[in-house]
Amino acid sequence: MTDFVQNSLDGITLGASYALLALGFTLIFGVLRRANLSYGPAIMFGAYLATWTSLNFPAALFVLFLVTVAGAVLAGSYVERLCFAPHRKGSAVAAMVASFALWMQFEELAVLALPKHLYAFPALYDGGPLSFGPFFLRLESLLMLLAAVSICFLLWKILHATRFGIAVRAVIDDPTAAELSGINIGAISLRVFALASAIGGLTGFLIISSQEQVTPMLGMWSTLKGMLAMMLGGLGSLPGAVAGGLALGLLEAHSQWYFGPQWRDFIAYLLLFVLLAMRPPWMNTRSAY
Amino acid sequence: MAAEPLLRISEVVTAYGKIEALKGVSLDVAQGSITCLLGPNGAGKTTLMMTVAGVLKPKSGSIRFSEEEISSLPPHAIVSRGIALVPENRLVFPSMTVLENLRAGAYQRKNDFQEDIARVFARFPRLKERSAQQGGTLSGGEQQMLAVARALMSRPKLLLMDEPSLGLAPLVVEEIFHIVAELHREGSTIFLVEQNAHMALKVAQHFYLIEQGRVTFSGNPGSLAEDEVIRRAYLGSAQS
Repeated sequence: MTDFVQNSLDGITLGASYALLALGFTLIFGVLRRANLSYGPAIMFGAYLATWTSLNFPAALFVLFLVTVAGAVLAGSYVERLCFAPHRKGSAVAAMVASFALWMQFEELAVLALPKHLYAFPALYDGGPLSFGPFFLRLESLLMLLAAVSICFLLWKILHATRFGIAVRAVIDDPTAAELSGINIGAISLRVFALASAIGGLTGFLIISSQEQVTPMLGMWSTLKGMLAMMLGGLGSLPGAVAGGLALGLLEAHSQWYFGPQWRDFIAYLLLFVLLAMRPPWMNTRSAY
Repeated sequence: MAAEPLLRISEVVTAYGKIEALKGVSLDVAQGSITCLLGPNGAGKTTLMMTVAGVLKPKSGSIRFSEEEISSLPPHAIVSRGIALVPENRLVFPSMTVLENLRAGAYQRKNDFQEDIARVFARFPRLKERSAQQGGTLSGGEQQMLAVARALMSRPKLLLMDEPSLGLAPLVVEEIFHIVAELHREGSTIFLVEQNAHMALKVAQHFYLIEQGRVTFSGNPGSLAEDEVIRRAYLGSAQS
């Protein structure tokens, strides 16, 4: 029982970071109906910019946070202009392949600037984990969970109570009608990318500062986990993204414990396969903002 | 020289790939009029509406609104010039509430839309009753009213309407045309596409007949040719 609870705590920790990644993904997917493979690599770009800054300047943690977010937003906007703006009415596959090309660009750039496989990153918090009886929980994990829930809530608020949010939902509901209502879809799409990338930057910063290290694999890892969590929760739903992220984290933590680390990803993909084949009702919703 | 009409379409060609849906359409919409475009299915009516609204780009020709060339502008810029289209099949935002649909229609105006919402609710009391209901859950007639109301939220100088009677019960069609006539009395200029030629000719001051991408006839309702025009609007000249 103790193990089960501790594993669940670890799973929620892991799941909170997946949930954050899925939120950004789902925002972009909801608006564009396009998969952005470069979402993770844009986060990695921000993380590398911050790492480079910390290696060359004596920067405070808060400054590194801002650099990560700024780098991710910059990279995300670049992806939108290059891959998605030209294909807004065209082929979804062309946009996806283009975003794959930029993924390679970001990785090459990162490796050229910082060629070692692994770099240390300043720690978010130096103290040990919090303990409750026999259980341990890291403070960073709590922070991550808090961030996931509050960002989900904040996004919901933005989408329902602001002029920008109404426009975003109009584009999601019916792009042609949105255009006819005077909404500039290109501008909305760019702002959605910037917003999603800012969330990605925050997530990236929380991940690297709690792991205290950065590798170029962060890009691929973020894209895979974010997409998987988004699909588990049903495409284009904010609460679904959080639920999908947490479910994925719990699943990974428990399968690692009971079956060993080599089965962790296998079981996650197996579940996705089964769910996609069965299509439970929450996976059929077109958009549930 | 007399002033140009509010909307002047000259020699407009719009193509889907290699297929030309409009093969050089020219027509005028006078300030303060209801002008009606009649024609059978596939004649190019919706294509013309989408071209004026900027969703489709013409291959050649010119579209002038208030003496300004607008054929190369994107849709949102055309809305800001004062043209709003009520699209075919209404296209209300299904997951958004009636109120949110209206706010989206007023997107280009940042704050002062409350007054317009009040005005629109006064005109469409049914929408007020349903203001918190999702667009997709409304009946066909209510959706059509919402689409008209949404278009009015941008305070258009020219209202384009694409088949507002499509798929609606006769009583609801009467209601829609009653609203069209009312808007006209209050000074709006309306350019209307219709299959329902009898209804359209009751309210219009001027009409055009479009067949196979070309304007083949124009005139005023009540003229001798009206029966012939109605027949061709329903059937197309090819079948005659």
